[in-house]
Amino acid sequence: MNQILTIFIIGFIALIGNWIGYKVPFMESLPGILLLAVITLIGMGFTRILPFKSPVIVWISLFAMLATSPFFPGNEYTAAAIAKINLLALATPILAYAGLSLGKDVHLFKQLSWRIVVVSLVVFTGTFLFATLFAEIVFKIQGKF
Amino acid sequence: MAEARVNEYKLHFLVLVLVALTEFIGTKKISIGIGVIALFPMLYALVLGGAISWPKFKFLSEKEMNVAANILGVSFLIFIAKLGANIGPELPKLLGSGVSLIVQEMGHIVGTIAFGLPIALWLGLKREAIGATYSLDREPNLAIIVDKFGANSAEARGALGVYICGTLFGAIYMSILASILGSSGLFHPISLAMGAAVGSGSMMAAATGSLAVIFPEAQKDIAFYSGAANLMMSIVGTYVCIFFSLPVTQKLYAWLEPIIGRKGASSAAEGGRKSA
Repeated sequence: MNQILTIFIIGFIALIGNWIGYKVPFMESLPGILLLAVITLIGMGFTRILPFKSPVIVWISLFAMLATSPFFPGNEYTAAAIAKINLLALATPILAYAGLSLGKDVHLFKQLSWRIVVVSLVVFTGTFLFATLFAEIVFKIQGKF
Repeated sequence: MAEARVNEYKLHFLVLVLVALTEFIGTKKISIGIGVIALFPMLYALVLGGAISWPKFKFLSEKEMNVAANILGVSFLIFIAKLGANIGPELPKLLGSGVSLIVQEMGHIVGTIAFGLPIALWLGLKREAIGATYSLDREPNLAIIVDKFGANSAEARGALGVYICGTLFGAIYMSILASILGSSGLFHPISLAMGAAVGSGSMMAAATGSLAVIFPEAQKDIAFYSGAANLMMSIVGTYVCIFFSLPVTQKLYAWLEPIIGRKGASSAAEGGRKSA
């Protein structure tokens, strides 16, 4: 399957990033990356065999949580291995692929009115700001911080 | 696969080079009056990638760019696995923040509408405003709008407009916004982390990345809470959009449009694209 290979290639790229950017030696990152790849693949496979449609993100999140939760065998090893992979090292490839896909929308963008561009920025701001604000208020009420 | 074969290795190789180069350059923080802007590898990678894919250079074909967008989706899944693995060891903490998780999800939904709709109407958008502001307009939201109103509707045009803007500069904008909000001192990093889970892979990666750079000591918390908020969003998001966000936006539109809407601006003149 093509996607399996893709997952491992992305994993390899993240591994290089984790090494160059965050100074984690290659061999030290390897178990964590492999575990992440396996969890991702299990989540993708599980979504596919389910009789109903469901977001793959949900299953991957749940399996990753399960594998690292205190009741799962080997959880400490899994959690420690994955902790060696810097979050940012996994985010950089995402945005690199995003960058390589940008060009396809440039001509569509040229046809948009400036108003929709302004509205977009307002929408992006609104969702981030309001969620942050609401969370902050609840935490304040709860006295968490 | 309907698409003709594309050499994916070309894309992977480019990404590998981009990652190696940008991680080597590393993080730079620039102070601008109102706060600190964090410049970091993923942003360089996005901008450089964008330059490579710029249509004039003809370095990548449209097909290759589409494949890159697909791989972007796959790479986000590994990121999700990492976020999940951050939550697992401290599962009880997740239950402890249940209320704020639910409430912030409301904020994600309300934020686009409460902020976006009045401004869209004020700018003179008509029914485009419904599609443009009922959600962040990523793929699933586009599908909902097209399903309900049809691909050639004003609503779909509005949604598609926001979708295109999101693809083109959503990530950059989110990272700047996260930098400014983060260094403003108004919010706790945990609240910001929840806010960063906006429901788009590249925007979320950029926003959480910015926060992680600005609050290096809170990096684990940021991953934990943005991961939890994103999980929440992915579980309830679609249903909330269909059964709450969209009907509410339509009701608000019917109520607010006569009050704020510009007279005479015809629906067809806005939004630009006529056919999707």
